[in-house]
Amino acid sequence: MRVIIGEDEALLRRGLQLVLEDHGLDVVAAVPDAEALGAAVKEHVPDLVVTDIRMPPTHTNEGLVAALQIRRDYPMTAVVVLSQHVQRRYARELLASPNGRIGYLLKQRIANVDAFVADLRSVAAGGTALDPDIVAVMLARARQSDTAVQSLTPRQQEVLALMAEGKSNSRIAAELFLSEKAVVQHTSNIYDALRLPLDTNSHRRVLAVMQYLSRD
Amino acid sequence: MIGDMHAAVHRSPLVRSFRRSLVAVLGGGVLLAVLLAALTPLDGSAGPVLLLLPAVFLVYVGTGLIAWRRRPSNAMGTLIVGAGAAMYLGNLWNTEIPLLESIGAVCSTLLLGVVVHLLHAFPSGRLHGRISVITVAAGYFAAVILQAPQYLFGPRGSTPMLIVADLPQAAAVGLSVQRVVGAAVMLVTAVLLARRWFDADPRQRRALGPVYSYGTLVVVFFPFSAALLEGTFGLPPAARGFLQFAALGGIPVAFALGMLLGGFAKSGEIEELGTWFGVSGAGRQDVSPALAATLGDPSLRVSYWAAEREAYVDAGGRTVRDGPDAPQPPGRESVGIDIDGARVGAITYDSSLVGDPELVQTAGRVVAIAVDRERLTAELRASHLALQRSRERLVNAIDLERRRIAQDLHDGIQMRLVLLALEAQQLGSIPGTGAETTSRATALRRDIDAAAADLRQLVHNVMPAGLVEHGLWAAVEDLTDRMPIPTRLTMSPKSGAGTLPSAVESTAYFVVAEALTNTVKHAGAGSAAVELALDGDVLRVEVSDDGVGTAAPNSGAGLRGLADRVDVLDGRVRLRSEPGQGTHLTVELPCA
Repeated sequence: MRVIIGEDEALLRRGLQLVLEDHGLDVVAAVPDAEALGAAVKEHVPDLVVTDIRMPPTHTNEGLVAALQIRRDYPMTAVVVLSQHVQRRYARELLASPNGRIGYLLKQRIANVDAFVADLRSVAAGGTALDPDIVAVMLARARQSDTAVQSLTPRQQEVLALMAEGKSNSRIAAELFLSEKAVVQHTSNIYDALRLPLDTNSHRRVLAVMQYLSRD
Repeated sequence: MIGDMHAAVHRSPLVRSFRRSLVAVLGGGVLLAVLLAALTPLDGSAGPVLLLLPAVFLVYVGTGLIAWRRRPSNAMGTLIVGAGAAMYLGNLWNTEIPLLESIGAVCSTLLLGVVVHLLHAFPSGRLHGRISVITVAAGYFAAVILQAPQYLFGPRGSTPMLIVADLPQAAAVGLSVQRVVGAAVMLVTAVLLARRWFDADPRQRRALGPVYSYGTLVVVFFPFSAALLEGTFGLPPAARGFLQFAALGGIPVAFALGMLLGGFAKSGEIEELGTWFGVSGAGRQDVSPALAATLGDPSLRVSYWAAEREAYVDAGGRTVRDGPDAPQPPGRESVGIDIDGARVGAITYDSSLVGDPELVQTAGRVVAIAVDRERLTAELRASHLALQRSRERLVNAIDLERRRIAQDLHDGIQMRLVLLALEAQQLGSIPGTGAETTSRATALRRDIDAAAADLRQLVHNVMPAGLVEHGLWAAVEDLTDRMPIPTRLTMSPKSGAGTLPSAVESTAYFVVAEALTNTVKHAGAGSAAVELALDGDVLRVEVSDDGVGTAAPNSGAGLRGLADRVDVLDGRVRLRSEPGQGTHLTVELPCA
């Protein structure tokens, strides 16, 4: 799997590159700003781009703009956006890019290398990865007022959160020490409770759950 | 303003006595005109034309008196009346009484000398510079003394009474000398006037141009006009006479109009100006326009001495380069205004419109108290302006500092924590590591992650990433998303507010953040609502809750500090918090 890294901090860029290479990913370029990122993507057309949201020159949201642009121009290139802080608006903008292949994670998640690399692989394979922090915020918000969410059992809420993070049923099963069959049972109960259409496509599943949680 | 002044006070005794004197002069003039008409024989071929003489004389006296009355301190009015007298004396020639005829012969060209004087003195009534004084003196010399050979030695232009010897050649030589001196006088005059016209600004040129040209033409061509009109154009004597009188009559009108419309000091009004400032209480208005109208210089400006800054400031508190010590552009002068030896202000004026610096200083003394009051006001405004600027700088400095701290934390310690956690995690996965070490390495990584999460929150509180990256709407959305109680968010326009000034964005954000913190901590509220609305150039921020409603505007340093920030940005804060009614905070921020 060919990867390009966009990160302006040299130390972190190097660290990230080493970690990914250790896990068998082929880092074809590692660049410090959005402009170089665009050029590198054009040159290599990689399977995956991992980019910081905040990069020179303005240190605002260059990475986000570049990510959306890449998803538009290169449908087969997946993008994972890293940030020091995650929030709903960015999640919404990133999820709006069609056909998944999008990730939005806290930068701190890199440290849990195995889970991080698993997320990268899942996104590159057409899935979606949303940071647990943003999902937790959205779920907490929904629990305040949404009676359907309130009616879910704690276990079901755990499953719902992992669904929103873009985890597949098998990963949910592994994480919660459940059988896949049990997970399927939970998901179908959740769908019933929230009146969501049943969908096995990971990206559409994330979209549906996030849309539900974002309701006013 | 001057109109108000007239309405507000009675005329002073000085002004009344002055007006009475002018009426007396006018009466004398009319009497003299009637006398001249009676003495002039009207039976000759030029008879009816000669009747114009007293009329033209009255034009001189009339316009001179009008100018005198309107601008008592300006000598132009007196000079015009004087020109009328010269014209009167010169035309006694036409009477058939020997003594008067002789006077007429002696004064026959006196009027030309006075017109040269008028040209040099226009518009202030004073002669500026030695060259002017010498030229005018030479003009009188040529008109009066050099006229002598004509009536002493010549049959032409004389009366039997005055002839001492019949020496036609001496008379001819005298005439040539008179013409040469006269030409020299007019040449110098023309150069001088041309230079004054050239130095004048366009507004003054409109007044100077016509008057200078007309006066010069009359002086140069009048002596030859008889020969020119009758000889070259073949006009009958009556028509020639009529034209000459019309040209003569135009002189006082031209000078008076130029002077009055070009603007000149009405010093007679100054006393009333003082009364006005003292009595009417209208001095709360700016002194400048009142003085400008009184002294007849629309460009006049009063500035105020700001002792602290050691500079003159205008009514708005801005520094100006006025005062007697500051170099002024050509044609402008500045005099100081003092009270008890202390400088309170300065009057800066157009020295060609206001001829007499004494007059300006007198006016300055009259309005000194009013100027001092305005000076204090201006000083107050200036220090208010400085204070406001300083507060704005402070707010911006705080924002910049917050941004810098957030950026430093982001680039530095947050990044290092990622690397440290990475390192910790990798320690545990080195092949051959015992299970104990692996689990401790993972625990270490989790601790570092938790520390990073704390730091993330801290950075967020200092300056939220969303505000820097995506503007106010996104940042407030994130804020309400993380509220532990149901919080409704309304934003219009929904799409976002575009680019607001960063001080407005951060102030609005921290207002919402502080209000929501108070709601959570103190209000015991069940729900809250936030509204952001950009309406034209005003950003309205409303935060309300259904809590106990006992918030006070000064409770807690947080909200008070934010109220200060809002005040710096010229915004408004309204807090409504009644027991049992919840708390409702509205902040409006102009963001033009």
